[in-house]
This record gives sequence, structure tokens and C-alpha cells, in this order.
Amino acid sequence: MVKLAEYPRTATFAWSHEKVPLLATGTAAGTIDADFSSDSKLELWSLLSPNPTEPLGTITADAKFNDLDWSYDNNILAGALDNGAVEFFSPKDYNSVAKITKHTMPVNTLRFNAKQANVLCSGGSNGELYIWDTNKITTPGYVPFVPGTAMTPIDDIYSLAWNQNQSHVFASAGASGFASIWDLKAKKEVIHLSYTSPVTGLKNQLSVVEWHPNNSTKIATGSGFDNDPVILIWDLRNANAPQQVLSNGHTKGILSLDWCRQDEKLMLSSGRDNTCMLWNPEQGQNLIQFPTRGNWCFKTKFAPEAPDLFASASFDNKIEIQTLQNLTTNLDLEEDVHKQRESETEFWTHVSEKDSNEKPIVNKLQAPSWYGNKSPAAQWAFGGKLVSITGGGKDVTISKPSIPGIEKNFMLDD
Amino acid sequence: MVTISNAHTELIHDAVLDYYGKRLATCSSDKTIKIFEVEGETHKLIETLHGHEGPVWQVDWAHPKFGVILASCSYDGKALIWKEENGRWSQIAVHAVHSASVNSVQWAPHEYGPLLLAASSDGKVSVVEFKENGTTSPIILDAHAIGVNTASWAPATIQDGPNPQQLRRFVTGGADNLVKIWKYNADANTYLLEDTLEGHTDWVRDVTWSPSVLLRSYLASVSQDRTCIIWTQENNQGPWKKTLLKEDKFPDVLWRASWSLSGNILAISGGDNKVTLWKENLEGNWESAGVVDQ
Repeated sequence: MVKLAEYPRTATFAWSHEKVPLLATGTAAGTIDADFSSDSKLELWSLLSPNPTEPLGTITADAKFNDLDWSYDNNILAGALDNGAVEFFSPKDYNSVAKITKHTMPVNTLRFNAKQANVLCSGGSNGELYIWDTNKITTPGYVPFVPGTAMTPIDDIYSLAWNQNQSHVFASAGASGFASIWDLKAKKEVIHLSYTSPVTGLKNQLSVVEWHPNNSTKIATGSGFDNDPVILIWDLRNANAPQQVLSNGHTKGILSLDWCRQDEKLMLSSGRDNTCMLWNPEQGQNLIQFPTRGNWCFKTKFAPEAPDLFASASFDNKIEIQTLQNLTTNLDLEEDVHKQRESETEFWTHVSEKDSNEKPIVNKLQAPSWYGNKSPAAQWAFGGKLVSITGGGKDVTISKPSIPGIEKNFMLDD
Repeated sequence: MVTISNAHTELIHDAVLDYYGKRLATCSSDKTIKIFEVEGETHKLIETLHGHEGPVWQVDWAHPKFGVILASCSYDGKALIWKEENGRWSQIAVHAVHSASVNSVQWAPHEYGPLLLAASSDGKVSVVEFKENGTTSPIILDAHAIGVNTASWAPATIQDGPNPQQLRRFVTGGADNLVKIWKYNADANTYLLEDTLEGHTDWVRDVTWSPSVLLRSYLASVSQDRTCIIWTQENNQGPWKKTLLKEDKFPDVLWRASWSLSGNILAISGGDNKVTLWKENLEGNWESAGVVDQ
């Protein structure tokens, strides 16, 4: 299974929080179709639909999307629109629920809170940040509130992330060079992170933020600079310097990060080098480099409840859904041998197919935490014996359980 | 009772006794498989098999009529076949048709020959026959879109009727929360989807076919949704009937289901480290047959 799906759209996207997830796509801002259309659409897709190349539903939006997010209770989709509005959609009814223009400039990004499904944070140009309550968006005259005062002047916001444990804490990052940590209870920016690159000697741009899935003091930042595109892992207990530097990966600026919520040892990144990568952020190891795309890869996200899958969007009119693993098999090798034997004309007609079959480069095979038996795995054997894994997965025990009333059957087993 | 302590350096995922209950195969995240000789209350490590490049999830012994043969599967996308001859173990075949983790391997009932069924996270299951002079080309099926967690053969059965024929079936469970029944079609030389069973609300981790050859077929499926469903079918045809093993949910996710060789006791293992035993009473309800102390 190379790719589960590929949608011919230059669009931002969001996954639903379901075991068999849906994907929502919204026409990306700042791009132009081949037909110069200015239409903007929100579309919903299902991998299991009998007709997977057709969207399940389409909603027309007011303006093009800079970002899209799906609430954790799956009830609301929020779009960050290029015209300064935040538009809310109902994925069940395929309609727009509310559209509120509070930002004075384009809305660049937004994120739903993991613990409070009705809370949303939006960030835009000129450092504009707002906190929204989706329970109130249909109330006339509703306005979102500002999170508090900044310690430093903030510039355009590109990225937002809510702390996964402390629902009143979030982080923002953007053009200013700082990543800021905000506390809604304190109503202010409480810490900011900055990093001077040893490569360039300059203050690096921290343009993407992403919190650790469990540890409330750990945060990752991605550098948008092409000359030192590193991912930094910080522990806020010592915010002076990063704990881990993930280099030797991207060759140009990083545009997106996603720390897997089901396995803290997995993180996806993508960037202006047209590539998506999988990392072990704890060990700082680059695990997999996925096949290069035709243009900037601006967003990549695990399916939150089915993280064997991830989606990534690039500016070459493609959203791809892939599985984390795509190993080379005997069948691929046979196909290669077959290709080497084919004639010149056959080769040229098959060149594009071969590209789409390109395999990721696996630097290290690391099984995600949701794999592998984590139980006693008890199995019956000859003679009424039961073999089970004991001692927390380190020992094996062979026993012969006695079952009241059916000893006879066990005799038959012997 | 025999306890083998610290058999591997990392988590053990599977442990299986051979046909005679004399040899135990274990496999682990440490990428190895170990073979122990078990005699009464004693045990002895006789071999450590290296070959997989990732965690090894499952092992399965072939029927002794084919020799001392073991199959293993791993996150590295491969199923490997191992053979012992004159006390020496060697890897005799590599089954590498899956592009993602192979999560389960099981040998078919011996009547069908040395047929191996493998289930993979690439969404496919494969059936391959190992012959003296190598392997036949595998049959590969698209089974569960988001990944196959488990696959299990039905016991060898003959279908009644005017033209009695072998009824070769297996069952699969997937990350799409479904259980599917597949049946061999000799004309097409492939397995066709016979039934799709809906009932779980989360990943199906294991599904096993009861080995008892009765008029009624029994399947047990366990899931991350903390339920176990018993599926029954009369006379190998018609609809499958769904019965929850117990109405309320188990305390933790369920990983494994195993039928005793006579088919009447079901062992369920869960993430809470408990093994519970179950049997069907005369009224057709499932009741507890005890808890195995760990």
C-alpha cells in the first residue's frame, strides 16, 4: 500500500478524531488554479467510501483557507480564512455554522484545545491572537477574547499549539524569531524561547511549535530558516537552551511538525525541501525520509486515532495519505527486474508510474507503540496446558489450569 | 508449572508450544526467536534464531508431518520459515510480499499442505505454499483498508450437499473494526470474501476459529473496544449470529483469544495482565471458567 489516497488539490487539511478517520480539505490561500478560479471549497473525504475519489460532501467557503482544524469531539471544523474571518462548519450537516471577522488581517492558523472541545485559538498577521468559544459563536454580537499581554513585540503568527495537559497553556510562533508560551490564567506570555544557530551565528527563526503529547514542559520548535533548518526539543524547566537538536534531516526551512499523540517517540516534519520525515525526537534520530514531492510540503499530520496513516499537503496540487511503513517487497524487486528488461519506449511510458511507486528511505526500523502484543497472550497447547507471557513481558509460564466440572474434556486432550 | 524467566532482553510478544508440547518457541522485540526444550518441570534453551530486522510479533509451528518447521513474522514486513534438521536450525525461506509489519502468521490445517497465512498492516493478507523446491506464487488479497491485525484458519471441513467438497476458509480482523470471512474458490485459485461481520467499535486485535468440527462454527474476536464477540454459524452456511461474551466491558483492551484444542474453553488475555477462561453452558450462554493466576 504505497498511498492510500491522493487528492488533486492544493489545500490545507484536517483529520477527524475517529478510528476510521475522515479528512477535510480546504482550498489553500495564496495559490492559483490552472483555471485561475477564486472559488474556495471545504470538502470531506472518506478512505472507505465506495467511491474514494469523490468527496462525501462539499461546502462553499467565503475565502481561501490558510489553515483548518477539527474539534476533538468531531462536531466542528474551523477554517482560518484569508479574508480575516474564522469560519465554523458542521461536518455532519455539511453547512457553515458561523463566520466571524475579528482579525483585521488574514488568519494564518488555528487550533482546537484537546481538553476543552469548544475552545479554539486563532493567530494571524500582525501578532493578532484570539481565543474562541464555539458554544457561543452563534450568539449575536459574540466576540473572541485576547489571551493577554505579550512580553515582546510579536510579529505574524504562523503556528499555534495547545499544551496537552494544561488546557490553559498554549504556544505561538511566527516571524518574530521567538516562540512564545502563553498562560490564559495569568493572562500573559509567560516564557519565550529563542535560539542562536551555531551554523549561521544568527538568531534562528522558530516558526513552528508543537507540544509533547504527555509531558507538559516539553515542546518542539521547527526552524523556518533555509540555512539551518533544525527541529529543537525544549524542556521549559530550562528554557535557555534546547535539550535536543534534530539536524541532518531537512535541507530547507521546516513548515510543519506533528508529535504523535499515541507514541511520544514519533514525530513528523515537512518543509520547503519538498520532503516529509519521521523522527524519534527523544533520541534525535531520523527514522524515515519519505519520497520527495514536487513542491513545498506545507502541512503533515498523523491521523490522530489511526496514526499508522498520515496526510501531507504540498503546493504541487497534491494531498497524499500514506502509511508510515512502505517497505520494499519481493514483488517490487520482480517489477524492477521486469522494468530493466523492457524496451526504450516501454521505459518512457512507465517512467511516471515508477515515480509514484518510489519507496521511503528507512534509516531505522522502529515499531510504533501501538504494535505488538501487550498481554499475557495465553494460548492453549496439547494436554490442557496453557502457555502465557508473565513477569511484565519478560517470562513465559506453562500451567495446567483446573476447571471445575470439565476435567473430563482435559483428559481427552491428553 | 514451568516458568522461564528473562527469556529475552526485551518484551516477549508470543510463546507457542509445538504439537507434542515438547518444544517452546518465543519471540520478542529483541528481534530474536528462542527455542526451548520443555520436559516435565524443567526447560533448556536450545537455540536463538537471528534473522528479523525488527520486533518479532508471532511464531507458529507447522504440523510435524512436514518436519520441525517454524514460521515467524515481524515489523520488518517479512515472514521467515525456519527448519531444524539433525539438531541444526536454519532459515529455509523468506516470505517478503508485504510492504508493512506482518502481524500474524498461521499454518493451515495440515490436510491442505504446508500453507501459510500472513496478515499485514499494509491492508493485505497472503497465503503461500512452501514446497520442497521453493514456494508457489502467493495469493495476495486486499482485506482491511487500514491494516490487518490477525488472520486464522477454520478447521478442515467438508461441506455437505450433493457434491461434498473441501470448505477451505479463514477469518481476518482489522483496524477498520471489522471481521471478515474468506472462502477458497478453486476455479479462480483465490479466496473470496464470504461475509463481513460488524460489531466492534475499535481495532480487532485477534480473531480465532474454534478447532472443534461440529455442525456449528464458532469464532471469537477480541478488540481494543474491550469486548469479545462470539460469532456462530450453523452448518457452515447462512448468517453469523453475534453474542457478546459478557455484556459489560472488560477492564482493559483485549489482545488475544485462544480456544482449547477440544474447542470448549476459551482463554482471553487483556492489557490488564489477566487471563480469563470461558465456557458455554447448556443454555448457550457464556460463563466464567476461572481466572488464571499470573
